[in-house]
Amino acid sequence: MPVAAALKVLIVDDQFSVRQMTRMTLEQLGIRYVHESENGRQALEMAALQPLDLIISDYNMPEMDGLNLLRAVRGHPMVRKLPFILLTGRGDKELVIKAAQAGVNNYLVKPFTAAILRQKIEQVMGKLS
Amino acid sequence: MATLDELRNTFFDECSELLLEIETGLSDMRDANGSEEAVHAVFRAVHSVKGGAGIFGFESLVGFAHVFESVLDTLRRDSSAATPAIISVLLTASDVLSDVVGFARSGEPVPPDYGSDCRAALEQLNRKTNDGAAADDDGTPAPAEFAEIEFTPVRAPDFDGEDEETLRSYAITFRPKPEMLKNANEPLYILRELGKLGDLVLVPETQALPPLSELVPSHPYIGWTGTLRTAAERSAVADVFEFVIGDCELEITELAPQPGADTVIEEPAAVPAAEQSAIAATSPDNTNPPAAPPGKDDQRPDTETSVRAAAAKPAPTTTRVDVDKIDRVVNLVGELVIAQAMLGQLAQGLSDEAAGRLSQMLDDVIHRTRELKDSVMSMRAQPVGAVFQRMPRLVRELSAKTDKKVRLEMFGENTEVDRTIVDRLGDPLTHIIRNSVDHGIETPAERRAAGKSEEGTIRLAAEHRGGRLVIEVSDDGAGVNRERVLSKARDKGLVQPEAVLTDEDITNLIFLPGFSTVEKVSDISGRGVGMDVVRRNIQDLGGRISLKSTRGRGMTIQLALPLTLAVMDGMVIKVAGNTYVMPMSTIVECMHRRADDSHNLLGTRGVIQLRGEWVQLVYLTDLFDLHATAHDSTDSVVIITEASDRMRFGLVVDELCGHQQVVIKNIEESYGSVPGIAAATILGNGRVAFILDVEKLSELAAESKPPTRAGGSTSALAVVNAA
Repeated sequence: MPVAAALKVLIVDDQFSVRQMTRMTLEQLGIRYVHESENGRQALEMAALQPLDLIISDYNMPEMDGLNLLRAVRGHPMVRKLPFILLTGRGDKELVIKAAQAGVNNYLVKPFTAAILRQKIEQVMGKLS
Repeated sequence: MATLDELRNTFFDECSELLLEIETGLSDMRDANGSEEAVHAVFRAVHSVKGGAGIFGFESLVGFAHVFESVLDTLRRDSSAATPAIISVLLTASDVLSDVVGFARSGEPVPPDYGSDCRAALEQLNRKTNDGAAADDDGTPAPAEFAEIEFTPVRAPDFDGEDEETLRSYAITFRPKPEMLKNANEPLYILRELGKLGDLVLVPETQALPPLSELVPSHPYIGWTGTLRTAAERSAVADVFEFVIGDCELEITELAPQPGADTVIEEPAAVPAAEQSAIAATSPDNTNPPAAPPGKDDQRPDTETSVRAAAAKPAPTTTRVDVDKIDRVVNLVGELVIAQAMLGQLAQGLSDEAAGRLSQMLDDVIHRTRELKDSVMSMRAQPVGAVFQRMPRLVRELSAKTDKKVRLEMFGENTEVDRTIVDRLGDPLTHIIRNSVDHGIETPAERRAAGKSEEGTIRLAAEHRGGRLVIEVSDDGAGVNRERVLSKARDKGLVQPEAVLTDEDITNLIFLPGFSTVEKVSDISGRGVGMDVVRRNIQDLGGRISLKSTRGRGMTIQLALPLTLAVMDGMVIKVAGNTYVMPMSTIVECMHRRADDSHNLLGTRGVIQLRGEWVQLVYLTDLFDLHATAHDSTDSVVIITEASDRMRFGLVVDELCGHQQVVIKNIEESYGSVPGIAAATILGNGRVAFILDVEKLSELAAESKPPTRAGGSTSALAVVNAA
């Protein structure tokens, strides 16, 4: 059972405001170790250097989008098992299907509430305590 | 932690950036006829607006962005489908989007039918291209979950200990102590044992190794640091060292699974070599450790570099900093400039030898201070694109209103300048562009008749030139109609009937206050809507405005602005024992005044002839009511200055003390507005000096009656005008 306060999460989104909102929502769940990246390329570098338990990544980003980040993570021998939750917009069914094929652990539709975020994380990580 | 309100503001700031991207992208699409990258960029930006709006709960914004986005999504798949008609709808949509963002920001509700035409046009495009295939593309929010997708969340293996092969990484430092060898423990065996647990990468520490002649065979000189990747628990790793635990320095730190991996994967060649040398160092029995093989020391730095290279590859990041904090630094830099000027002053009182050395040091300090100033200023700097981005829309709206075809080209949007200047550029630029569309560019019919293409072009360009920001707005319209301007100016009494003016003078009449009060400016084909206001705005920023016009070919308005409002180049002058600073930008030239140069003219304190032009003399002593010292008035200096109305006058001062950078200290907060004084500064000797407001001085000179000596008071302006 993962302890929320010890969980290390990386948020990937090109928008500062969205990253901050996500961070605030995570903090409501008691998750305090939150790293941020602006795009997939940065996130991949960070994933290789930081101890992480979970990546929550947006899809739509310059440099490297969320789907390509997911594929890169899954292809990286050391981080390939890292849990990955993809943020999607409404109505992006194709993306969810592609992400599922690429091995995403879960998806999360923006906007989301703290309760939904908890549910999505718990579906992947087990019940938070 | 930021509050929700602050985050909202951040979101809206981002929106401005995104709207600019949309605008730029759409222009690119229009010009390059559907370049794929442009479509993607616009899509991304609209999508980001939508995403953020969703998170912050701006439903109307989400709704509109969604319809907009759907059209772009279709174009993304087939960018050739972006016809001019479609792009024009998209441009309108970007305007509407920008307004909806504005509503969301101000908290006003969007008026019920706002942008409904545009929305309908977008929806129609969606239907046309998609044949209504995507049901959720009609703008109604889809449910938050896609029930129709079979998606089962994938449980991560890590946390319930199900996954045995999860690898951990440990950073290990191992330095045997002499006791260890005495107790007959062999480091090599321990390292081998450790290696059995997983992938082991060790780097030997050989610094302590003495020359061979001093080597004590029973002393362990070598330690190791490195990483172990293993599925084993920490306790299992520690167990390896069980028997030597007190006889060595040992550190085992658990890392994430990832570190080390990077080095192993990216530097496969370097690691085994290091490993080999590590083993090589331990393999012979410890009674006779070999001297380091020559290659070993080379290898070690190599491996280290590779480790460091992987670790120190910083992702490019930006930090948002409160402007106030930067302003505080700007202020401090200002203080530093003053302190440095004081040091310089001090140095002058020293003996030659000491002064020489000190001034060398000072030069260095001055150099650094300037660099520091520049880098702080660059932090405050903002691209002028923030202002430029409003212009395409303005041009679109105006050209629609006037039935003209106008195309706006923008260059140098990324040119940076202090944000206070960016903030205050919007109005003047809007004025200038409005004038260009309104009065510069002709109707399509007129243009055809003049042998020009129907579409007029306005070019908006920014660049850094000679330490200033230069913005040029040029059009290929009709240019200024000088005859009309001149006759209008004569009617208004702005120009004496008999005055002979050059073409340039006439063109510049439109900057005169009063010229713009012509009720209906479009009655004359010249320009003039608020050009005096524009000029005033630019001048307030310490800038200059100039205008060139070729009849029938168009005109160019050039703005030259300082890059910052915190520090400026000034000329330190002395008048009647008081020190003042004049902005360098207002000085045309300085000259020594000789007795036969100046002439008395009724109503003035004298005029001076400057290359055939008569320039009125103005005495600061008169304007500021200073007690004139007994200096010989013929032994003074005349500074020829040019105020904004291009009225030149000669300011008579006692002495020029030199040119230096001065820090502008605002005095309005404490003293209100003092006519003729723009601000204050602190000089090298620690004294406060006022910075002159040359613009105002010229007005004061025009108003003030010259002292009795000259008598009368014919308008000073008229004299210069007539000259």
